[in-house]
Amino acid sequence: MTASPDDRTAQVDETETATNKTSAKRAPARKQSSGAATPEETTTAGSAAKKTAPRTAAKPATAKKTAAARKPTAKQASGASRAASGTATAAKAAAEKAAPATDVVVEPLNRALAENSGAKTSASSAAPRSAAAARTAAAKNSAARSTAPKSASTARSTAKPAAKSTAAKTTAAKTTAAKTAAPRTTPAKTTASSAAAKTAAAKSAAAKAAATKAAAAKSAARSTTAKTTAAKAAAAKAAATKAAKAAAAKEAKAKAAAAEPVEPEAVAVEAEAASVETAPETPVIESTSQIETQSGTEIEPAVESATVVEPATVVEPAAAAESEPAAEAEPDSAAPVLVEPPSEVETAPEVELEVVEVVEAVMDSDDAASGAIRPDDGASAGEAIRIRGLVKHFGDNRAVDGIDLTVPAGSFYGVVGPNGAGKTTTLSIVAGLLRADAGSVVICGIDQASDPQAAKRVMGVLPDRLRTFDRLTGRQLLYYYGLLRGLTADVIEKRAADLARAFDLGDALSRVVSDYSAGMTKKIMLAGAMIHSPRVLVLDEPFESVDPVSSAVILDILRAYVSHGGTVILSSHGMDLVERVCSRVAIIVGGEVLAEGTIDEVRAGQTLEARFVELAGSSGEVEGLEWLHTFSD
Amino acid sequence: MAAHVLRLRFALLLGAVRGERRIRTLVAFAAIVAITVAVCLAVLSLDSAPVPVARAVTVLGGAALLVGFLVGPVLVGAVDQLDPRRFAVFGVDERQMPWVLALASLVSVPSLALLAVYISVCVVAISAGAPWALAVLLTIVSVLTTALTSRIGMAINALLLPERRSRELTALFALALIVIAFPVAVFFGSLRWDGLVPDSLAVLTTAIGYSPFGAAPAFLFSVAAGEAGAAWVSGIVAFLTLALLWLAWTWVVRRLLTTTERPVAARERTGLGWFGLLPSNAFGAIAARSLVYWLRDRRYIMNIIVVPVAGVLTVLPLIVAGVPIEIAALVPVPVMALFFGWLPHNDVAYDSTALWTHVASGVRGLPDRLGRLVPVLLVAVPVLAIAVPLSLLLIGDWSLLLPLGGLAASLLFSALGVSSVLSVVAPYAVSRPGDSPFQQPQRPTSRGTYGPAAAFLGAIVFSAPTIWLFAATIIEGSAYAPATFWVGILAGLLVLVVGAVVGGRIFERSGERLMEFVETA
Repeated sequence: MTASPDDRTAQVDETETATNKTSAKRAPARKQSSGAATPEETTTAGSAAKKTAPRTAAKPATAKKTAAARKPTAKQASGASRAASGTATAAKAAAEKAAPATDVVVEPLNRALAENSGAKTSASSAAPRSAAAARTAAAKNSAARSTAPKSASTARSTAKPAAKSTAAKTTAAKTTAAKTAAPRTTPAKTTASSAAAKTAAAKSAAAKAAATKAAAAKSAARSTTAKTTAAKAAAAKAAATKAAKAAAAKEAKAKAAAAEPVEPEAVAVEAEAASVETAPETPVIESTSQIETQSGTEIEPAVESATVVEPATVVEPAAAAESEPAAEAEPDSAAPVLVEPPSEVETAPEVELEVVEVVEAVMDSDDAASGAIRPDDGASAGEAIRIRGLVKHFGDNRAVDGIDLTVPAGSFYGVVGPNGAGKTTTLSIVAGLLRADAGSVVICGIDQASDPQAAKRVMGVLPDRLRTFDRLTGRQLLYYYGLLRGLTADVIEKRAADLARAFDLGDALSRVVSDYSAGMTKKIMLAGAMIHSPRVLVLDEPFESVDPVSSAVILDILRAYVSHGGTVILSSHGMDLVERVCSRVAIIVGGEVLAEGTIDEVRAGQTLEARFVELAGSSGEVEGLEWLHTFSD
Repeated sequence: MAAHVLRLRFALLLGAVRGERRIRTLVAFAAIVAITVAVCLAVLSLDSAPVPVARAVTVLGGAALLVGFLVGPVLVGAVDQLDPRRFAVFGVDERQMPWVLALASLVSVPSLALLAVYISVCVVAISAGAPWALAVLLTIVSVLTTALTSRIGMAINALLLPERRSRELTALFALALIVIAFPVAVFFGSLRWDGLVPDSLAVLTTAIGYSPFGAAPAFLFSVAAGEAGAAWVSGIVAFLTLALLWLAWTWVVRRLLTTTERPVAARERTGLGWFGLLPSNAFGAIAARSLVYWLRDRRYIMNIIVVPVAGVLTVLPLIVAGVPIEIAALVPVPVMALFFGWLPHNDVAYDSTALWTHVASGVRGLPDRLGRLVPVLLVAVPVLAIAVPLSLLLIGDWSLLLPLGGLAASLLFSALGVSSVLSVVAPYAVSRPGDSPFQQPQRPTSRGTYGPAAAFLGAIVFSAPTIWLFAATIIEGSAYAPATFWVGILAGLLVLVVGAVVGGRIFERSGERLMEFVETA
């Protein structure tokens, strides 16, 4: 189920053209899948294999709630599919937003869309279309886990043809559901969300409730709304053109506005999302054109839900607004939505969560429809780190070759990769210790290039293989870190005492740091990185050579820190640790991100280590070395 | 009560030679004995000197002794064995304690040494012509005055400063003492007496003779010289001083016995060393860290040691070549000042990869630049304060004090300013932390480094006006002396401030470039 890296671009292209090409496919597929999708969604929602379809289905439901959060994925997905299948991306975005609970593996969704087969099928049918979009979405590091299952199912059931992008979007939306919604993809999302809502409302509802993020919800809602309105208005349209989508999006927006006040944030979104879901996808399709990039992930669930929800009428207004982005995201989904309004509408009533996303999608679609695709408007709201197009060469060696990562706030992000993959280089660039040749890094909404001092202030850094001032004693070193950060002496005193107690360094503080063991040095440097209580912790191999007891203590501290809103991005070689601890992971090989998303998404049913080995490309059997067995002494 | 305390005092004296610190105590005792003998002999040699000379020497010496006993405990952090506070728990009569403690304080090694010295002074005075009754009386007054002064000095230390003091604070006090007292002592020692009191000293002697610090010895020799008026004034001042000291001592004892300080939250943070002394901001942190490294890292210590040695060694070839010593002695001070200022021109490279702390925390450039200069200044200023008087001693022309000081200041500060800029612009690889200072690092590129030469030449260029004025002073006379001094200091400070600001700006903006340098060097 895991797509190779090459498939990503293929999927993107695929998605773009898929919506147009496969709209016809989608219609029948959707029909068949919608029927099958619902049960499938429920049944397969949890399974990784069929994830795409159920996820897309689930996504809308959850996407609405978490649409905002998943916006980046949605955006990416929508961007990919924007050209051709706005709705698809929208659906994907929506899907991502819609399904916070389940992790979405993009590929299964894509495959499901592509296959268009019945068995897992709604997923498979959605797979091809959504595969590309999903991959884009996944690559975009969306956090809409929960949206994934729902949107997957939604996509499968509702919008197969358009669902490809949609499904991808749903997947993406699921992963990034929590993130700010991508307005563009909201239309797709709406459709997806409506579909998902119907089928996996229960699942996604619970998931989404947990993972509701304002932006995600917003975008999802928007997309859903857009989708529903689009679907309604453009039910008769066959192939959604961008213009048509835009019009539908506007319509959807109006409807959404009419239905409920489109609130950017999650709470109000729910109602809207519900209404949006009922709106047909067609308006979504129309509106998707502009908004798909933003709500790519969200749109998926939105799209799905929208498609599913079409018959429902409540959602129309919200859906209308959302449909704009959704429409863009899923032009295809809109078409099939038109064909199968009833199936889509079914999911509408269930989805409370998706309403949230829909509303957000509406908002996003509003923005998108207004013409300005806000690239990163959602970034500051819920993203701790946003890396785009990072490139770093060391002479001929391309250490970092175009990395795009989005770390949502409040997440525990792991970066894994083989030796020499560029992890340390990437983290050094984020920490401000290295200058990239190209690309942008935005930390908590602060652009590193324009305001480096402010960016450094919100970060705590633990670099790898760099010395520290080890002629000072431990206490003096903590004072040094604190005073450089601008803390006062008594604050440092208290915090240093707390940190020493937590890290079990009490009596070692009076000794010179050069007398410490390697693990103790790591611990004191970690304590120094945290002493000014930053928002983001950038840790490079923090558990290297630290004993298990201290590792457990450090993990507890970091988990508490994350649960209170902090963000941790760390790199490690311990796969079981990453699997146990991290909420999202990115696999970097050769300077590129090969897989990204939640843990379940990335590992796709295997263990993370197996998946990593698979991606990193083991050399297989080691041949030669026979001489090693003939002891030549 | 007195008997108890005296017995206690004897026991303490005997206990000092017991235990682990026996050898150290005995060595210190022997040193005190030796010094006392030397001083007594020196005083007795005044016997042959004319009375004004003897008066000048004893008055100034006595004043210095009193000042030393008053502020010495604060500087050294000495712990008083008979601290009045220790008797507070015994329910003693606080009206008796002052004279009991004063009496007990006379039973100590320094007091006995003092007694020996003052007896010598008395002998000299009697042989000079003072009536022996008055001489003995005033000698007793002198001894009591000095003893009470030392008691009060210890009490001030107990009242003002906390008990446990960091070593670094004591070191700072000692450095301040060296910077101030050494030149003065050398100056006085260099004056040519030839049986006559130099005019400047005569005025000083008279003034101190009427003050509480030197009244008693002044009386002795005024009487011997037959100046009744001056003698009466000095005598009355001496008795008044004793009375006032007694009152002060009584008040201090009563206060120490009856009051305790409000327990303040321990401001003294233990275990911080220099970090506790310097201000709690980025500048203080970087200064403290630099101090720790300069005083403990082998690579830096080598730099510190080399400079004075190089400064002195440059003189030898010149002397061998026949340059008169008056001119050759002018060379070490500017050379040392220049090299001290040149030392931090590569400070960033010495940090090695630990520089990431500064770059990642976004510390401002100016505190960083200034903080790195603190250790250099802390070492350079005392060394120059010792070198300048010694050079002038060899030259013999004390009118060159101001110009030489101005030149040294100009070279030192402008070199520091130029180094602040060059250490961020042109750093080059040095031995890594933990390596021997003589281990050459591997340089990845064969690019020539212009940092050291640029720092050297830049300092000389910026000091050009001062150098020109100094030459003018030597050649044409002391008319240019004040100008040299002020021009030197102002120009040096200007270059220092500008260099620190510019270097700070460059540091802030090129953090990543410096990180790449330290990671590859």
